[in-house]
Amino acid sequence: MSREGFVPPTAANLGNAASGIQSIKNYGVKYVCAQCAVNFTLSPKEPVRCKECGHRVLYKARTKRMVQFEAR
Amino acid sequence: MTTTVKKEQSDSFEDLLNPVYKGKSLTDPINTAEDKWNLLPAFLKVKGLVKQHLDSYNYFVDTDLKKIVQANEKVLSDVDPDFYLKYLDIRVGYKSKADPKQIEVLYPPHECRLRDMTYSAPIYVDVEYTRGRKIIIHRDLEIGRMPIMLRSNKCVLNGRTENEMAYLNECPLDPGGYFIVNGTEKVILVQEQLSKNRIIVEADDKKGIVQASVTSSTHERKSKTYVVTKNDKIYLKHNSISEEVPIVIVLKAAGIVSDLEVLQLVCGDDSVYQDIFAVNFEEAAKLGVYTQKEALEYIGRKVKTIRRMNAPKLTILQEGIEAIASTLIAHLSVENLDFREKAIYIAIMTRRVVMTMNNSKLVDDRDYVGNKRLELAGQLMSLLFEDLFKKFNNDFKMNLDKILKKPSRASEFDALLHINIHSNNITTGLNRAISTGNWSLKRFKMERAGVTHVLSRLSYISALGMMTRISSQFEKSRKVSGPRALQPSQFGMLCTSDTPEGEACGLVKNLALMTHITTDDEETPIRKLCYILGAENINIADSSTLHTNGTFGVYLNGTLVATTRFPIRFVNSFRYLRRTGKVSAFVSIYTNVHQNAVHIAADGGRICRPLIIIENGKSRVTAEHLQKLKNGEWEFDDFLVNGLVEYLDVNEENDSLIALYEKDIFLATTHLEIEPFTVLGAVAGLIPYPHHNQSPRNTYQCAMGKQAIGAIAYNQFRRIDTLLYLMCYPQQPMVKSKTIELIQYDKLPAGQNATVAVMSYSGYDIEDALVLNKSSIDRGFGRCQVFRKNTAVLKRYPNNSKDILAGMRVNEDGEPIWQHTALGPDGLGEVGMRVQSGQIYVNKCVPANASESVLGGAQNGQQAPPQQAHREQPMVYRAPEPSYIDQVMMSVSDNDQALIKVLLRQTRRPELGDKFSSRHGQKGVCGIIVQQEDMPFNDQGICPDIIMNPHGFPSRMTVGKMLELVSGKAGVLDGSLQYGTCFGGSKLEDMSKILVEKGFNYSGKDMLYSGITGECLQAYIFFGPIYYQKLKHMVLDKMHARARGPRAVLTRQPTEGRSRDGGLRLGEMERDCVIAYGASQLLLERLMLSSDAFDVDVCNTCGLMGYNGWCPTCKTSETIIKMTIPYAAKLLFQELISMNIAPRLKLGDVF
Repeated sequence: MSREGFVPPTAANLGNAASGIQSIKNYGVKYVCAQCAVNFTLSPKEPVRCKECGHRVLYKARTKRMVQFEAR
Repeated sequence: MTTTVKKEQSDSFEDLLNPVYKGKSLTDPINTAEDKWNLLPAFLKVKGLVKQHLDSYNYFVDTDLKKIVQANEKVLSDVDPDFYLKYLDIRVGYKSKADPKQIEVLYPPHECRLRDMTYSAPIYVDVEYTRGRKIIIHRDLEIGRMPIMLRSNKCVLNGRTENEMAYLNECPLDPGGYFIVNGTEKVILVQEQLSKNRIIVEADDKKGIVQASVTSSTHERKSKTYVVTKNDKIYLKHNSISEEVPIVIVLKAAGIVSDLEVLQLVCGDDSVYQDIFAVNFEEAAKLGVYTQKEALEYIGRKVKTIRRMNAPKLTILQEGIEAIASTLIAHLSVENLDFREKAIYIAIMTRRVVMTMNNSKLVDDRDYVGNKRLELAGQLMSLLFEDLFKKFNNDFKMNLDKILKKPSRASEFDALLHINIHSNNITTGLNRAISTGNWSLKRFKMERAGVTHVLSRLSYISALGMMTRISSQFEKSRKVSGPRALQPSQFGMLCTSDTPEGEACGLVKNLALMTHITTDDEETPIRKLCYILGAENINIADSSTLHTNGTFGVYLNGTLVATTRFPIRFVNSFRYLRRTGKVSAFVSIYTNVHQNAVHIAADGGRICRPLIIIENGKSRVTAEHLQKLKNGEWEFDDFLVNGLVEYLDVNEENDSLIALYEKDIFLATTHLEIEPFTVLGAVAGLIPYPHHNQSPRNTYQCAMGKQAIGAIAYNQFRRIDTLLYLMCYPQQPMVKSKTIELIQYDKLPAGQNATVAVMSYSGYDIEDALVLNKSSIDRGFGRCQVFRKNTAVLKRYPNNSKDILAGMRVNEDGEPIWQHTALGPDGLGEVGMRVQSGQIYVNKCVPANASESVLGGAQNGQQAPPQQAHREQPMVYRAPEPSYIDQVMMSVSDNDQALIKVLLRQTRRPELGDKFSSRHGQKGVCGIIVQQEDMPFNDQGICPDIIMNPHGFPSRMTVGKMLELVSGKAGVLDGSLQYGTCFGGSKLEDMSKILVEKGFNYSGKDMLYSGITGECLQAYIFFGPIYYQKLKHMVLDKMHARARGPRAVLTRQPTEGRSRDGGLRLGEMERDCVIAYGASQLLLERLMLSSDAFDVDVCNTCGLMGYNGWCPTCKTSETIIKMTIPYAAKLLFQELISMNIAPRLKLGDVF
């Protein structure tokens, strides 16, 4: 589903990068900020915080998988 | 209906006041009799439905808080006499230099709801204190955080437009008036109490006891003083005086030394009263008490002394003085040992007792609404805050003394460094009280539980109904009728219909539509005003004139402050001043002829309501004024200021003659009702034509309206509540009422207009069951959604480990295992996925070594091992029907732990057994769902959505429902919405006229054809739309069956209840039936074999139980017999043995 690739060091994982710990993998799951509605990904060890506005309520974006509803 | 020309989507209340409203434009003639109801929306615009909560909270935050701080302004040290700290000011939400309108709240309310936080604002104080030799003023010191009531003047939502509210994710129709504490919405219910600081006279005819009591309540303490009769002699009783004191001795101790003056104060010159009272002088004389000193010493000897730790010991005389000065009638303060005011108060109490001894009809009614006070959120919060503030200061002082005691300090002592240590106490104290509802105050020894409730968000109406609810202090279990009965004095103040059934019936009440609850007003200016108006100050008046004929006492908040010879003139001029706005509009004045008294009440907690003033048989409100209201030039307050409308409380209402309609006015009329339908509250206002229903039906509907599924708020899809029911396609009712428009139920409705045929169909409609049309259900009738919240918190542990989310597990093909199909790679359910029973939606893992000590982890190395062992602790979905993941919210709670909320959604269509109700207390379950082809139809091809059995009508007598049908039918044919307002609404005659015009029968009956045979039905069928509500009781939430399943550990019997997959109980009564029938084998099977059968080894010699074929008591295996008994019985025997009781089994032959 997601590809492990190079994650550029951000402010959050700079400390990790410096201490030589392997950067955390990013699943590629999209999250939406509740305030500014920006779409971004988040790795599990990052703090829950919008990358644009710093708002602390995030919603998971809707899945890309096919969902079939039973029409009744 | 003429449609509104320009329909602006502005503030919703605005269009009630727009130039064109409800088909009436500016140029239309104004009819006072009809249009005076426009005052009601104007009133609600200013006051609102929950205004009493907001007013009381605002008063607390703006005024009461400052008073509390002023009363406890200084903190002194016992060690250092030079030190002091003084509070100069206190503010909530803004700093000293900031604009008071700009409130600092950390997070807006909706974010608090989502993140489980408390919606609060900082409390700032300005302090002045000494540091060394200097005096320092420090501003804006935060001492805690105050929970903010939504929509109060400290709330960010105050004064916002609808657009701004939408930006904040708030619903503009939400009433506010509640708090958000730890993410849950909490309401402090209105509490009803007997009024404080007033004399209440009661009589017990059987025992021949008359007593006058007064509950004195001050900031410091609460105490009750009684004046009682015992063997026709009068005594004073108080908790801190060990025995009853003869009343004459008390009066002498209070400085009324001469017997003549005692007689003058108590009896006046009435010889009957004098005869009754005379015995009491003997009592004092017998005890040898003649002077004030003797009397004080007598009382001093009887006082129960509770000395504080280091208080000096008092002499008996001092004890007596102390008792009179501060213990008795504690709400009157004594200055310079001048007891006169208190003496007069006790004399008045005595006089009331004497009067009642003479005429037993002069007792007070405890249940009379005028003798009640309502305690609101603000008052309760102020009690709590004062307690916490005192504790805060005390802790601060203790801390201070500890440090100041130390002989030398390195640096100069700064008190500010130490005040912050305790700042958490106020915050947590307030939060805990509101979130648990336990109000425990040490000062009053008050321990009250259940003060707050979670705001019920079942429907808009249930939230609204909660805000107007009043709970009583009476015990629910006691079987008393008095406090539960409908009081005539609650007319217009408390809703006559809205009360729960069952144990809380009549004890829980609701406010009527147009009520206001007063807050405290200053006493001193009113007292001065009384003297200016010509009343004589009681302290300088001669005792002999007090009770002379024609002299009226002027009582301010229950205390005699003046006398007047001209009560009528006095009352009239006082009222005149109030109407001109010189005195607060909420001060009430009324005369009591029995007591020769003019009472002025300015205390808080009285219920009052506005009425139109009538002068000389003419209404002060004229067409011209209403015109101004319509033009928007005037607001409700302008009517008040101009003396056209005034507020009356229950007592003053008793003093006036109120006309219901303008036609009833005659010369003696003093007031005119604004609208008669305001006798009902908000919830009862939903009922169309309630004045045609049998009264209990309206009460039933009030209970059911709160359970109806509908729209909850404009922000309903943004909310993540524990349980949320929403209707998919709600409709506003065809037959509305004015109340519906005022509370804007039409914008957030909970129900649908169903076409109902009142006829019998199949056999599945007995006992109020309904027949539903399957095609209607397919079209969306009664369809609802259920949202359920599931919360996961990723905790951190002291040993540096924390909970994590694991991804999904995959099988050998790389596909996720079945349990994990709904999960995403991050271990959270994917939004939109279906979860079935047994599937996982949050794959949480807890560290395996979470409980390991902190030290152990630190010793192993500097850092915790990067890869810790975790154990899966997932959240599994368990329900008979699958759900869809609607939202997954991730956030951080207060203590920096990750908070995950998963909202699961189910869409439900009506099924067999779902509960529906009309708005007339007529509930029923769906009995059968019929294909539309089989339903009856009329010549236009219209099919009913619901078939209701006509047997529901005769015994229920809900004529309102029939009228709703006719009006609704007329509305449907006419394309208009009809009104069913209480004591008004569309007239049946007009409705019939419309029906006839449209070619229908005037009575609402139609000729229907059978859907099965196609023949026309033998009778005409009553056929038309009725508003139906879907209630929250649905079969899916209740269905339960079990064959085998879990058992309780202790008893090995099947568990109880649906939530634990419990067994179905064969109860005592069922057991009785089986016994009576003689089915002993069935009994054995049900009660033992299918429940908790257990094989035991019983020893036939000792009768005790052994094991493995061995009796440990007899040390033998010879007489062991195997048998089956219930495990619970075996448990009982063992428990008895453990208590040194030996139950021995004696075995006999089977058959």
